[in-house]
Amino acid sequence: MDLSSPTLEDLALAGDSVHVPDDVFSVLVKKLFDGINDGNERNISFLSENDRYKNVDKAAVKQAYGGLVTMVTEAAKNDMEIESLSSLLEDCKFSGDRIAALSKAFLQHKPQIQILLNSIGNPPPHIVDIDWRLDYYIKNNHMDKVNEPVYLVSLKTEEAGKPGLQEVQLSCSLEQLQDLVGKLKDATKCLEKDGTVIIYTFQLFNTIFDEYEVPRIAVSLHGQNGAYIDIKTHIFNT
Amino acid sequence: MEEVDQIIIHSLNTIGCDIEDDVVSLKQFSTELIVAAAVSCVKSISNENDLPSTLPGGMSARFRMGTTLANAIQELGYRGEIGYQTFLYSNESDIRKVFMFLVDKLPKETVEAMDEPLGASVLLQKAISASVARHLTSPWLPPFLKDHGVAWRGKPPVWQREGACSLHGFYACHLTRPHGSADLTKKISKELKQYYCQCLPFVTNQTAHHHDTLPSVLELNGMEIAKQHEWENEWNQYGLASRLSEEEYKSKKRQRVKKRIIDQLKRDVERADAKTGLGPAENFQQLIDSITSRTSTGVKGKGSRFTHTEKLLFAKDEEKAVSQLVGETATHSEEELQKEREEELNSLREELNNVSSQFSNLDLDVKKFTAGIQELEERLTLQKKENEENEKSYSIKKRTLDLLPDAENNISKLQAVVDASAQRLANLANQWEKHRAPLIQQIQELKELNSKRESEAQVKLGEIKTFREKMKSVADEARNKEEIQKQLLAEYERMAKDVNRSAYTKKIMEIVANIKKQKNDIDKVLVDTRTIQKEINLLSGKLDRTFTVTDELIFKDAKKDESVKKAYRFLAALHENCELLIRTVEDTGIILREIRELEDQIENESNKKVLSNLEKITADYREMRKENAALIAKLKQKS
Amino acid sequence: MLLMLEEQHKKHLSFLTSVEIDVVREFCRISIEFIRKGANPKVYQGASQKLGVSVETVQNGVEGLMYLLTESSKLMVNEIDFQDSIMTLGFSEGLRQELLELYVQSRHEVRCILSEMAMDLPHYHNLEWRFDVEVASRSLRHQTTPKILLKLHTEDSGKKEVKVLQTDPVNLVHLTNVLDGALQEMKSAYCRRIVRNIK
Repeated sequence: MDLSSPTLEDLALAGDSVHVPDDVFSVLVKKLFDGINDGNERNISFLSENDRYKNVDKAAVKQAYGGLVTMVTEAAKNDMEIESLSSLLEDCKFSGDRIAALSKAFLQHKPQIQILLNSIGNPPPHIVDIDWRLDYYIKNNHMDKVNEPVYLVSLKTEEAGKPGLQEVQLSCSLEQLQDLVGKLKDATKCLEKDGTVIIYTFQLFNTIFDEYEVPRIAVSLHGQNGAYIDIKTHIFNT
Repeated sequence: MEEVDQIIIHSLNTIGCDIEDDVVSLKQFSTELIVAAAVSCVKSISNENDLPSTLPGGMSARFRMGTTLANAIQELGYRGEIGYQTFLYSNESDIRKVFMFLVDKLPKETVEAMDEPLGASVLLQKAISASVARHLTSPWLPPFLKDHGVAWRGKPPVWQREGACSLHGFYACHLTRPHGSADLTKKISKELKQYYCQCLPFVTNQTAHHHDTLPSVLELNGMEIAKQHEWENEWNQYGLASRLSEEEYKSKKRQRVKKRIIDQLKRDVERADAKTGLGPAENFQQLIDSITSRTSTGVKGKGSRFTHTEKLLFAKDEEKAVSQLVGETATHSEEELQKEREEELNSLREELNNVSSQFSNLDLDVKKFTAGIQELEERLTLQKKENEENEKSYSIKKRTLDLLPDAENNISKLQAVVDASAQRLANLANQWEKHRAPLIQQIQELKELNSKRESEAQVKLGEIKTFREKMKSVADEARNKEEIQKQLLAEYERMAKDVNRSAYTKKIMEIVANIKKQKNDIDKVLVDTRTIQKEINLLSGKLDRTFTVTDELIFKDAKKDESVKKAYRFLAALHENCELLIRTVEDTGIILREIRELEDQIENESNKKVLSNLEKITADYREMRKENAALIAKLKQKS
Repeated sequence: MLLMLEEQHKKHLSFLTSVEIDVVREFCRISIEFIRKGANPKVYQGASQKLGVSVETVQNGVEGLMYLLTESSKLMVNEIDFQDSIMTLGFSEGLRQELLELYVQSRHEVRCILSEMAMDLPHYHNLEWRFDVEVASRSLRHQTTPKILLKLHTEDSGKKEVKVLQTDPVNLVHLTNVLDGALQEMKSAYCRRIVRNIK
């Protein structure tokens, strides 16, 4: 995990009991995870509301808070172990009590933060449900006695940035639906067999991870062209 | 044999035969179970066989199946005697042999799995298969039951995304963090401090949407790191070589960049001029033209407004009439009035123009006069300066002239003054030297001390660096080891179900110990028999010798004495009888052994279930005949 | 089911009774050709000159035949009914046989052409899929999120459309099961009864 030197400075400030007294620190840790996880709790005003904190340097607390937020976010992003986290905090001159309190809270909130981090992205519409209807097609204005079943299928999808469910509608004849179900069954079977075939060359990618900041790698097993590996990378210049 | 049976039953259970718990030895295996177990063994050894796992109903089909099964086992390399009868009319020991062979041949997957290296790829692969398996085993939930498309599954609960409803793009905003509160030596301005304390919100509250907070935080950190790297690279490449301090280097770079920007702008402007092909003067002309044209259009605008009002005035009349009216304005009185007014207006305008031009002329005159005044003032100051200079030179000349009459005296006086000042200068120089020497020495000492300290510091820094690296590597190692430990723990937990393994080894050890004990016993018995044999031999030898001795003694006396003759005869009879007795005892021993052997054989034979098998065979034979008869009847019917 | 022919239609077709059977055959060929590819007025001109009748009569004859064929194909009239329907036109036995043969031969093709004209909904054309595992993203390293990307090709009146969708294994299994159930529904007794009864 990389933290910039200003962040480390801010973090050291959070560990410093001169600038951030113990009672403020404990409230700060609570507010920290509230502020990250809950949109309704992000307006933090405990410093100005309570007279107890009149003598606290508010600028320093805000600075320390910024450092803590960055550290927690980066740690969740890299799925950091508690041990390395505490060694980092030790480097920033945190006391043992503070390390324990922060680690405990971090461990408790890590999944939630990772969910938030995981919800950043713009994937294609995600199918979450399906409805169908079976019609019997009898005649139209050009033709009598058509007499064949028609399935109306509605795929319910969820899309990034849009509330509620969207729909993709299509009709299928019996043969077409058989084809569709066959292909879906193929895909399911492929999963049940488990993707172990493809992951042979992963070692290579792991070294790429460590060397460069490649933010997104996906490994794909194609349904039709056999197994091969496909890397998608989006490199952002930070 | 019980241990062997248990091992066999356990391995059969692991490959998927269900053998009930109360079956503990091969003796209890029924024919169906034997066949099923043998078939599943063969199947798990080689996948090519397509044997049915249950016995078919018909007798002939049973025989056929028994034969194919026997063949399959022989193909696997079994050397003992085997045929359909081994399975259908089983006897315990044959079956045990067959199963021991099959169990030995079973593929040993667990051992291979243990040998795999626990590399990162394996870990990742395991993680992927675990997550796919978790997905596949979890029940489907309708979207409205999931919290923003996330469901918690498994034990312990792990989240997994099953929707995309709360997703949003990576959008980062600028975040402001207060800085400089840690360093008390650097003062931050009061206003800034007040802003930080009173107004600036916490970083999680600075974005418009809550979900933009995390991207912004990540982005800020990434940006700062990138900046740091960039600066370090530049500083190491160019900065250090330029021998400037950081601030100087930065300011110099800033100037350079500024200059480049200016140059670029200039060049661009020139290029643009060259393109249009106009010199600056012409450009100016153009500008003027454009301005004038704009004013003229302004006039036009006024004119049009005027015509517009005109139109409004005569809107009641028809259009044709209007054009006529415009032609015949003179006849209309209103039109005349209008004209008069216009003329008046024009004359007034002219007057105004005149006045304004007069005014501007006057203005020009005023400017001219003020310029004249300035010029005159300048001249005045110049004159004043000249005057002062002249006065100065005059006073100097006057003083020298004053001094001239008493020249000698004055010169010597001056000389004295000059000498005194020279003396003073020398004195001062001496004093300076005195002060300087120790100071210089001090400086040198301090410098040396400094350099020493610096080198020490460098060494210490190096040490710190190496320590840091060591620490990092140790931490990495520890982490790796922990991961491996975790992996192993997981594996161990998975293996824990296989408790029998340790039980087996224990049992095997016990068996080995038992065998050892038995071997010892056998050895002891053997030694005993050997000593007994030896004793027997010894005794019989002794007997022989004593007999011959007594024989000779008595034989000598027998010639003389009749009673001794009788004794001799008795002795011979005794000897003979004793020998007979011994032989009989040996014979009984042999017979006893034979009896025991025969008993063993009987036991063996009875183990082979001959009688029941015979019954079975006769029953099967009858069945077969029946089947054959039925088949013949069918054949006849058909023909 | 018998075809109900209108008087005017009958009148138009009555022209065919007055010409040779070869000419009728030619008329039949032309009318099938027109159903396939659209009318060509030049052909009327040539035929009218050859037969010495007005262009209008030829046109009416051909169009009458076309209408007869399309109408009977539309209603899937069976052979006996077809024969009975044209009985009223006063055609000779040979001519009737000729027309019947033409009808039987071209019925399938005409129905295909008609079905192309029918209203269409966006319908399934093809599905491509692939299995991805997302192992890291810009904002979250170290993850293993299985995903199935689907590329759905649909077609609406010849216009093809491609949609890229994704889903996860849980939903994929659900999707497959639901659609498979839908497919089984067609085999249920209820649906079979309906299919049997609507003939």
